[in-house]
Amino acid sequence: MTRGGDEPDDADRYPTLTDAGARMLRRLREHPAAPVFRNRSGNRLSAEDLVEVRSFEARTLDEPVSWTPGEVPAWVASFVAQCHAQVPAFRARGAPPQRFDVIPSTRRADLAADIAAYVSDTAPIDRLINFRTTGTTGHPMLIASHPQVAARYLTFHKRALKRVGVTLTHGRDQVGVVLLGHQRRCFTYVSVTPQMDESGLVKLNLHPVDWQHPDDRATYLDALQAEVYAGDPISFAELLRLPVRHRPRALISVSMALSPALRSRLEQRFACPVLDVYSLNEVGPVGVLDPALDAHVLLQPRLYVEVLDEADRALPAGARGEITVTGGFNFCLPLLRYRTGDVGSLAMRGGAPCIVALGGRRPVRFRNAEGEWFNNIDVSHALAGVPLSHYGFRQAADGALALSLRPHERELHAGQAVEALRPLFGAQPVEVETLEAEDKVQQYRSELADAEVA
Amino acid sequence: MQNPGPELETLLRRLIDLPPEFLLPPRIAGKGTVHTAALVNDLFAQVGHTAPEAMLRRLSSVREADRARLLLTAVVCWLLADRWFVKTALPVPGLVQVFDDAVGGLAQAADASRYVADPDRREELVRVVLARMDFRPQGETLEQATDRLSSLSAVERKRLLAASRAAEKRAREIREALARKAAEESADKWSRE
Repeated sequence: MTRGGDEPDDADRYPTLTDAGARMLRRLREHPAAPVFRNRSGNRLSAEDLVEVRSFEARTLDEPVSWTPGEVPAWVASFVAQCHAQVPAFRARGAPPQRFDVIPSTRRADLAADIAAYVSDTAPIDRLINFRTTGTTGHPMLIASHPQVAARYLTFHKRALKRVGVTLTHGRDQVGVVLLGHQRRCFTYVSVTPQMDESGLVKLNLHPVDWQHPDDRATYLDALQAEVYAGDPISFAELLRLPVRHRPRALISVSMALSPALRSRLEQRFACPVLDVYSLNEVGPVGVLDPALDAHVLLQPRLYVEVLDEADRALPAGARGEITVTGGFNFCLPLLRYRTGDVGSLAMRGGAPCIVALGGRRPVRFRNAEGEWFNNIDVSHALAGVPLSHYGFRQAADGALALSLRPHERELHAGQAVEALRPLFGAQPVEVETLEAEDKVQQYRSELADAEVA
Repeated sequence: MQNPGPELETLLRRLIDLPPEFLLPPRIAGKGTVHTAALVNDLFAQVGHTAPEAMLRRLSSVREADRARLLLTAVVCWLLADRWFVKTALPVPGLVQVFDDAVGGLAQAADASRYVADPDRREELVRVVLARMDFRPQGETLEQATDRLSSLSAVERKRLLAASRAAEKRAREIREALARKAAEESADKWSRE
């Protein structure tokens, strides 16, 4: 993939870049109000990849999600057989079982323990990329992926946008999407989307630390005139504080649950639809909230969703349990009854399968002694360099901090972990406790008033 | 060995009953009696497939060094002409693997006549042939079939070891690839979870 070393160059990042694309990259980087872009990345799509991405979109954009809760769709049997033939962890289980409902579930902890065992034999190693999860419910891990898989996200966003009557129209010399973050440390870069005629893509951090002047944030966003803003409730809350005049055609919120109050404020302020997309690194966009149905409508035709109890039994429609998925569009990481860590129930609404009362994605904020707020992603980042398989972090109502570590990791890494939190919380003491729970814990908790983004 | 196959006893009996003509010298460079490629061609036709040309060419040998392999190929043709295989939809890739890969390895370990006369070698031959076509003897679990095969067959043990090394190598390469800076740079997604 990279020519002559580990460090990619622009030919690796943008293999099909034209003069128009290069012009867009320069515009995004060199605007007088542009932020500091701390990283470099790209679409990595070759001409052959683009053919595949377009073909995927052509067959997926309008394909209905045509199963009903409890009825395993026909394609699942061959998918299970394929997993047992091509994925080391599933192959080791022997022949695929005759019945789908006896397949043992896979947990986040399984993937975190050895992701390589879950990567399909068909995944080309020289094209592998990773996405690091900073979720709120479990083990930090790297997800194996591929540039085509990353590009396929757009197809599902288009499906979600179509539900609210928005068809993307941007193209050459226009900016398609701005991905907003609001974190102490954020992966930021510029790119182009070749399947949209090299429209611009910017991932930026609204935290003032990345800008020459805080006022540049609104100036830059207005200059870009992006068709879509994507972000999470924390970055959108910050966006509301800025005097941005531009009106994108849609806002897409992922990562964490978007409260009705924040959604309403965003809709009023930007006069456009605000989509709350339930999306996971492991599986991509799963569903989009339809407020009229009060449920997340599923977006992937080749993703079978169940709700399981603790004993891997599929629960009937209406019963609450852990959302579990089979299938997906990441051909590097085919998932068989993968427990997402999120809870909800299934229902048919508006003629389509939906997730009702999705829970487990609420963003959590913490405050340091100076009154500065941080979110759970900042804490994940701070601890990313410490080799922890699992941890919990909470802040009591009086501001006291506690970090829970598994017993052996507490012994080995407690000092390093506390040190890693110092850039966020300064000299404030962090009590280290022992984490006994094996798998599911609420990783982040804050008992402070205003800890949850309204 | 994911799929249940025929009865082991039936196939062992079939090898004991091998007609002696199958052990006559194979035709090599114009000399010998048994046309091995023709036998394999007939077998493929019998089970409803067409034998791949390239495979047949490899069985039309002019090299004396191929004698043991050709002899054992004839024995395997007799084995696979059993009624169970004829009425089962045998997978072509599995059949090709038997003739292109398994027979060669087994022929290096022992003479064709030993795979007929010696009870352990006989069972080894049957089990290896079944395993390469993803079958296991009827009535055995995957675990039982795997254990028995690896205890009987040095050839299979070698193959499993090589497969396990290859799997370990790939797993290591995946971990390394994901850890590289190039992979960390990631690629564009229209949203970040």
